[in-house]
Amino acid sequence: MKYLKAASSLLITIGLIYTLNRGWNFGSPVPPLGKFLNPFGGFWQNAETKKIPNEILNISGLKDAVTIYYDSLLIPHIFAQNDEDLYLAQGYITARNRLWQMEFQTHAAAGRISEIIGDAALDYDRTQRRRGMVYAAENALKAMEADPVAARMVNSYTRGINQYIQSLSYKDLPLEYKLLGYEPEPWTNLKCGLLLKNMALTLNSGDKDLEMTNALKLFDKQTIDLLWPDNENVGDPIVDNSGKWDFTPLRLDGWPMALPNELVDAKPLEKSPPDVGSNNWAVSGTKTHSGAPILCNDPHLSLSLPSIWYIIHLQAPGVNVMGASLPGAPAVISGFNDSIAWGVTNAQRDLVDWYKVEFKDKSKREYKSDDVWRPSRQVVEKFRIKNGKDFYDTITFTHHGPVMYDEGFKGDSEMKYFALRWIAHDPSEEIITFFKLNRARNHAGYMDALNHYASPAQNFVFASVSGDIAMRIQGRFPVRRKEEGKYILDGTLTRTEWQAFIPNEQNVMYKNPARGFVSSANQYPVDNTYPYYINATSYEAYRNRRINKLLSEMSEITPRDMMELQFDNYNLKAEESLPVFLNHLDTTQFTQAQKSAYKILASWDYENSVESEGASYYEAWWDALYPLTWDEIKNAKVALDYPTTYTTIKLIKEKPDLSFFDITETPEKETAREVIQLAFIKGVDAIEKWKADQQKEPRWADFKDTFIGHLLQGLPAFSYHVQHGGNHDIVNASSRRHGPSWRMVVSLEKTAVRAWGVYPGGQSGNPGSPYYNNMLNTWARGEYYPLQFDADPTRYKSVQATLTLKPTQP
Amino acid sequence: MKFVIHVTATIIVCFILQSFLPWWSLAIGTFLVGFMLKNNALPAFLAGVLGAVLLWGGMAFYIDFTTHSILTEKINKLLPVNSFLLTVLVGGLVGGLASLTGALARSK
Repeated sequence: MKYLKAASSLLITIGLIYTLNRGWNFGSPVPPLGKFLNPFGGFWQNAETKKIPNEILNISGLKDAVTIYYDSLLIPHIFAQNDEDLYLAQGYITARNRLWQMEFQTHAAAGRISEIIGDAALDYDRTQRRRGMVYAAENALKAMEADPVAARMVNSYTRGINQYIQSLSYKDLPLEYKLLGYEPEPWTNLKCGLLLKNMALTLNSGDKDLEMTNALKLFDKQTIDLLWPDNENVGDPIVDNSGKWDFTPLRLDGWPMALPNELVDAKPLEKSPPDVGSNNWAVSGTKTHSGAPILCNDPHLSLSLPSIWYIIHLQAPGVNVMGASLPGAPAVISGFNDSIAWGVTNAQRDLVDWYKVEFKDKSKREYKSDDVWRPSRQVVEKFRIKNGKDFYDTITFTHHGPVMYDEGFKGDSEMKYFALRWIAHDPSEEIITFFKLNRARNHAGYMDALNHYASPAQNFVFASVSGDIAMRIQGRFPVRRKEEGKYILDGTLTRTEWQAFIPNEQNVMYKNPARGFVSSANQYPVDNTYPYYINATSYEAYRNRRINKLLSEMSEITPRDMMELQFDNYNLKAEESLPVFLNHLDTTQFTQAQKSAYKILASWDYENSVESEGASYYEAWWDALYPLTWDEIKNAKVALDYPTTYTTIKLIKEKPDLSFFDITETPEKETAREVIQLAFIKGVDAIEKWKADQQKEPRWADFKDTFIGHLLQGLPAFSYHVQHGGNHDIVNASSRRHGPSWRMVVSLEKTAVRAWGVYPGGQSGNPGSPYYNNMLNTWARGEYYPLQFDADPTRYKSVQATLTLKPTQP
Repeated sequence: MKFVIHVTATIIVCFILQSFLPWWSLAIGTFLVGFMLKNNALPAFLAGVLGAVLLWGGMAFYIDFTTHSILTEKINKLLPVNSFLLTVLVGGLVGGLASLTGALARSK
């Protein structure tokens, strides 16, 4: 009997331990509670204080000792004796703060999120694989490993990350691993490739070929040019070099336009929202107070935590560079060294094409290309799914690229096959660009570095201590015939394919223009005399004009002025549209709420500031007006593209009787006037409802509600709402979920390069660290931190701790 | 007195084991102490519960205090139950059952 008692007690205990040692899912996932709650190893161990200990660690693979000084923002200043140690240390140090994020982002790129969160992510994962993300990263990896410099960089960086991963026990794991009940796998060079391709996906996967093909079938050419012009001809292009493009451009013979003559009943891929964009500019010494050039950059990306960027200072013989790095890739991406500074904005250009493929039979083993049947390559992709059975998907590759849509995935019943041609699939060596930019001494060094850069195409701004400023739009751009790339192409004809690329030296660029500054804000790139055809999903129309107007007016510029410009909340779109909208309103039947809204709007100063209520009313009005105007597009049976904001406002002003203003669901015939009226009523209703729900006045910061969400679907416990002005189409481009993910101002003074920076988050990726969000409110207030950039670490004002990495003795 | 010794021994033994071993070493420690001290079933169970609650609760409180609750507040938003309560509940249950098992295995 007593043995029975002891045995049952033992069984219950073991059963309990088993239950608490694994994760469960009761509708929502439960972490392994025993492990997770154990104060000696679970989540409690991830709680940190501001204090960072001094440490000496033994690291294998180092040649010499590396010293790292952490300053009060937890920015590491890495001092190494050679390049390999430098990148090994960068990998190690970045992983110490950002390991979970690095792995999660590369899992996302590779279509492996189902492994972590289950089958809810399967569709996303399949899209990633079918897009050829892994294929693209593998091609990038081959190119990296073929180049001795790139190979050394990536190998060292990967080794550094793995040294860190190997040192971890459960207790030290980043919180998210404990929460989701999994562990990091070894890092690989391929993951560096995946990370860079993930950037290409964010910035350069936009296209509207499918939508435009449908539009071509539904509307006449005149309507297409009216609603979706290639160039809206607004403001200055990024580079205006009119009549001075003195080279012989490549010319292609023949007519590429062979279109599938049908409506395409497939669902287009989710696009990056139009509020992903960026600003950069550089002013020459003639316009600044100090006489030294000033360079500024603020890339607008998804506002997320852990932050997209990680500030780092890298020093070794031949290199002394600081700025924003991407966790998961070696070197500094947007930054400065002791001679130059550079920054990036997205070039927008269309580098994505779709080809309709004709297979010989259902097996899809052969497809037609001119007069022959070419063999395809088929890959079976395996998807591991958390708490589920493995899933297999066969992806067919043609020489164009992967067949994204087929009967197994988002294709329609008539089996239309579309293959994706994407520039990011091509082998490239961006990493060499950053290796060289980090070490560049002058304009020639910058030009040489950019010659290695292919994708995602960027507008690279440049300034040097020696006084030069420059802009170059760099990427690998196919030579396009007129209208090429706008529509889905016939994949059975080789004449429709990309035939040649614009030579690097013929890309859009200039140096030291007469106006004394260079700038880019994702607008149309170049004047009309540039001899190549250019198109994109859309170009920016407002930020660029505001920036250029202010920069042309300014003189005696100080870094503070530049910070204010990055934080500029002036709504040019409202200035150009609100008076027109207000004029159209019939105010006779207004309710009390509408009257008061009208009054607020009529006296609004067009500033989307934190306190502004006018901004809330205007944006609510616009958010109702835009979909009402384009109800034909929303309700169409096939996918169509929405015209841009600029074109919409232009049509309201110039063609108020256009048939598109008619709301198809109503029997009456509406014009722009009625649509504006109706949208006003809807907009005011939306604000009234918001006021009733929130029990407060609609201050813009509250109504917009900028949200910095944790990468795990914005887990509220690890995410923040901030008080922040601005919006898309405004220089301070902070919308609800996107905005300036890094703000940098660099003054290239001969005595010493001075720089300021901030981003909405913190250096640590650990929600249990004070450095997880310590820069958030500084960012929200439009303030900056001076970046400590000195070759002599004894001059740092705020060294918090020193970490020494020592080579392990064999 | 024996009860106090049981609780104290549990805390000391488990503290040492937990510094090196995974979370379930709490069960090994409480089991061993329960086995060695030959208490009756109920006091053994209660001493195991109390020892584990004091050890886990004390450690959690110490971390929470020194880090100004930086993470506790966030985890509280994540879990349906207060994380401190859940921690001592899980620790106490495991500690109590393992201590009871130890005592029962020894009893004649």
